[in-house]
Amino acid sequence: MASTVAPVTADAEPIKGTSLWQDAWRRLFRNRLAVAGLVVVSVVIVASILGPPIIKATTGYTYDYIPRDVELIKAFPPFTAPDGSFSWTHPMGTDNAGRDVLARVLLGGRISLMVGLISTLVSLIIGITYGATAGYFGGSIDEAMMRIVDVLYALPYMMIVIVLLAMFGGQSPFSQLILLFVSLGAVSWLTMARIVRGQVLSLKQQEFILAARATGVSPFRIVARHLVPNTLGPVIVYATLTIPSVMLLEAFLSFLGVGVQAPLASWGSLSADGVANIAVFPWQILCPGVTMALTLFSLNFLGDGLRDALDPQMRKG
Amino acid sequence: MLRFVLRRLLTTIPLVLVVVSLTWGLIRLAPGNFYSGERAIPAAIVENIRAKYGLDRPWYVQYGRTIGNIARGDFGISLKYLGQPVNEILRNSLPVSAILGALAYLLALVVGVTSGMIAATRQNSRVDYSSMAAAMVGISVPNFVMGPVLVMIFSLTLYWLPPARWEGFSVNLIMPVLTLSALYMAYIARLTRSGMLEVMRSNYIRTARAKGLSERQVLLRHALRGGLLPVVSFSGPALAFLITGTVVVERVFALPGLGNYFINANLNRDEPLIIGIVAFTSIAILLFNLAVDILYGFIDPRVRL
Repeated sequence: MASTVAPVTADAEPIKGTSLWQDAWRRLFRNRLAVAGLVVVSVVIVASILGPPIIKATTGYTYDYIPRDVELIKAFPPFTAPDGSFSWTHPMGTDNAGRDVLARVLLGGRISLMVGLISTLVSLIIGITYGATAGYFGGSIDEAMMRIVDVLYALPYMMIVIVLLAMFGGQSPFSQLILLFVSLGAVSWLTMARIVRGQVLSLKQQEFILAARATGVSPFRIVARHLVPNTLGPVIVYATLTIPSVMLLEAFLSFLGVGVQAPLASWGSLSADGVANIAVFPWQILCPGVTMALTLFSLNFLGDGLRDALDPQMRKG
Repeated sequence: MLRFVLRRLLTTIPLVLVVVSLTWGLIRLAPGNFYSGERAIPAAIVENIRAKYGLDRPWYVQYGRTIGNIARGDFGISLKYLGQPVNEILRNSLPVSAILGALAYLLALVVGVTSGMIAATRQNSRVDYSSMAAAMVGISVPNFVMGPVLVMIFSLTLYWLPPARWEGFSVNLIMPVLTLSALYMAYIARLTRSGMLEVMRSNYIRTARAKGLSERQVLLRHALRGGLLPVVSFSGPALAFLITGTVVVERVFALPGLGNYFINANLNRDEPLIIGIVAFTSIAILLFNLAVDILYGFIDPRVRL
């Protein structure tokens, strides 16, 4: 049999297979909104990493630098020098303490993105472990575990997070960040667990899992090496959409004063400072607020685009 | 049906107990105390305070008393708003939050369902794209940015609306309700659109068309009912989100609602008030979810309770 097939392919052009991922990339890059989202997100990430040192080198301002010159401790609108003329020194103006708003927005971006990424990672770990366990064992274990998820969905967990942060927070800005990562990750894994469980439930019926089981692979190895890698598509999609929602939660907590602590800042806490001065220095809320809205907007479009690219069947219409 | 309701009501009790115990534990395990401030208090006074609030008793006595009070529906007296029973604070602040939340949810339902339905019937048209883009803006712009921007436009520039203050049903409510509503409007529009699109392809819609119903009847009598299912099941989680949303909106617009009290209670370590608000909202959310599940059974006959 093999000998009759071989000559045909021998002189033909080698067929280049496209993997699922290559296909997905192509579809993603055809989606203009998703690409625009990717570009904006990349710009924000690069700017918040490289921006603060550049600002420090060129103008001497850092996020917490308060000028000693009394004349400068006054809020100036964007692109304005102390004498009212045009200037590039503060593209976003200065805040009520004379600090450079751009430097603060970029630092806020670092913190907000970091909280978004790390908390999503925490929620991924919890969600995948939980969902895969429930899905793999099935039966009454699955039912009990998923019932718990249903119940948790209905509880006012943000209130408990607020209590946790208000009671245990405020020790140091650093420990507050750790608390934020963990508590936000711990409340945003529910949907992830549901998605992974659904995937695992259908995957475990397939032959390759039967084969693995037949050759004596341990349950843990089956879940970790055979099931979880195959759920990655939907997991990546949902993780991309979790990042903006976690960032929103962080901003919400920081806005209320229980999140990120001074001297650190996030887009939420910057907005809270800005709201206090809204009537006098509107740019102090507009700059962090618009930056944040734009970033979330782009992340959401990117997530939607990824969903369409990785799972064309899920696309509605 | 009755058994289902009874069983769900009974499971509510342990759930509320868990939430309250968790909150109580967090408050008690945290370092510091509600009376500890910047200035050190003489030991004798500390002793008096501890005796007055029963803090000198063993922890299980204190825990038991907290739970017992809640079971009797009496949340005790606030530690910060001196002499004010928590029940009274709840009674005064609940209407503010409830009116705000109910109006916002109503607005979101009306606008969201209408625009989602229009978008679904004209799929891939300009109307569809622009309403979905607007929905994306609603999802992405945080409410603490939207609120202040509205204030900047309508209060500080145009002088049309007052920027803050609670005056019952008045024009003061317009901006807070709009701010709170935006996110749900966006979600509901998206859910309605995708739900309707899915339903429109199903056989029973083809049947309805085939038997000669007008497009309007097909849409309103047949498609909408199926298309709304995701919206109904979203209203459970939506209440939980609404509660967090009102916290921000009440802070931005300085409204004396539950959320505002909750944040202040946390910053003041006002234990009875924190536990009172947490217990009250958990009960409210669980009962609301039960109502949503019952409603779901009415809309979708396939669901048996």
